[in-house]
Amino acid sequence: MIEHDFPEEFVPIAAELQRLPYLSPSRDFADRVISRIDRLQPARDVAPVIASRHLELQQGGRQAVAPPHRRKVGLVRGTGRAVVTVGLVAAAAFMFFEIDVLTAILSAAATQYGFAMAAVGSQVGAVVLGPATIAYLQAGAIEAVLLYLTLAVGLFGGYAAIRTAAHIAKAKAA
Amino acid sequence: MTPKSYTDVSDQQVVVFAQEGREDAYRELIKRYERPVFSLIYRMVRDNETAEDLAQETFIKVLNNIDRYRPEFKFSSWLFKIANNITIDHLRRRQVDTISIEGSPDAVTAERARATAVTITSGGESPLEELESRELGGQIEAAIAKLRPEYRACIILRHVEDYSYDEIAEIVKLPLGTVKTYIHRARQELREYLEGVR
Repeated sequence: MIEHDFPEEFVPIAAELQRLPYLSPSRDFADRVISRIDRLQPARDVAPVIASRHLELQQGGRQAVAPPHRRKVGLVRGTGRAVVTVGLVAAAAFMFFEIDVLTAILSAAATQYGFAMAAVGSQVGAVVLGPATIAYLQAGAIEAVLLYLTLAVGLFGGYAAIRTAAHIAKAKAA
Repeated sequence: MTPKSYTDVSDQQVVVFAQEGREDAYRELIKRYERPVFSLIYRMVRDNETAEDLAQETFIKVLNNIDRYRPEFKFSSWLFKIANNITIDHLRRRQVDTISIEGSPDAVTAERARATAVTITSGGESPLEELESRELGGQIEAAIAKLRPEYRACIILRHVEDYSYDEIAEIVKLPLGTVKTYIHRARQELREYLEGVR
C-alpha cells in the first residue's frame, strides 16, 4: 500500500483505482512474442551452448557445439567462400598486377614475413569463413578435415596458377 | 541450476535464465507482466488491438535486449519504461488525445467502436456490488481516459501499480517535480470528473 499523500476527498477514488482489474491480452499473446525473440533455446535443450560467436569460443571456458544441421550448411558455405575468395584473388592478380612484381612480392613475403602472413591469414580466414565455421574447426569436427584440405588445395592451386602465369608472361616477354 | 518451477524465483533470477536464452524463462517473464503491461497500455490507448500490438512490441524489445538489463533496477520498472515510451510514441504519432468511453477513436466501424468500449469485470462480489463497482469503476476508467496521456501513465503507475514518485520519474523519464505536479493535477481532474458519482 502506498503512503497516504492526497486529500481526504481523493481517498475513495484512490481506493477504486487500486481495485481496477488487470486486463488480459489474447491467449496466444506469449506465443506471438516468443516467435519473434531471436535468441532462444528450447526449454528442454539448454545443455549445449551454441557457438554463435567466435569471440565467445576464444574467451569462454565452455565448449562450443554447433547444431548438426547448421554444421553441414556452415561447412559447405565456408568451403565455398574459401574457394571463391582464392579464385578471386588469383584472377585479380592476373588482371590488375604486374606478374613479375607479384611473384617477387609473394616469394619475399613467404620467406621474410611468414609469421605476419600467418597472423593476417588467420584474421582474413575468420572473416572469410565466418565465426560459425571457425567454431566447427576449433570444436574438432571431423568434417573440418575436408575444409582444411579444400583450403590447402585452393591456396596451393591459386599460387601455382599465379606462378604459371608468371612463367608464361616471362616467356612471352623474352 | 534448472528450476522446475519459477514460482519462488525473483524477477532478477528469471532474467538471468532468460539471458542464457532459456525459453521457459522468457515465458515466465511474459506470464508475470503481460497483464499489468497490457492494462497500462490499454488504459492509455483504449483500443484492444492497438494495445496488443504495443504490448507485443514492448515485450519483443525488452526480451531481445535482455542482456542490456541492469540488475540494480527493478525489472518491472524497466519493462514499464519501455511500455510507456512505446505507447507515448504511438499516441504522438496518432495524435490520440481525446478518448471516448464509447469506443476508441482508432475504431473505424461502429462494430469496432462497440468492441473497444469500456467493459469492466470484477470477481468475488454480489451482483449489486458488482453493478455498483462497475458503475464507479467504469466512471473511473472514463475519467482516466479523459486525462492527458502523461497524466494517465503517472496516475496508473502511482495508484494501480503502487510505484513511488522516484520510480515513476525514472519510468516516464521526467523530473521528480514534474511527476508530482502531473499526479497532483491528475488527481484534481479525476475528482472533478467524478464529482457526483456515488
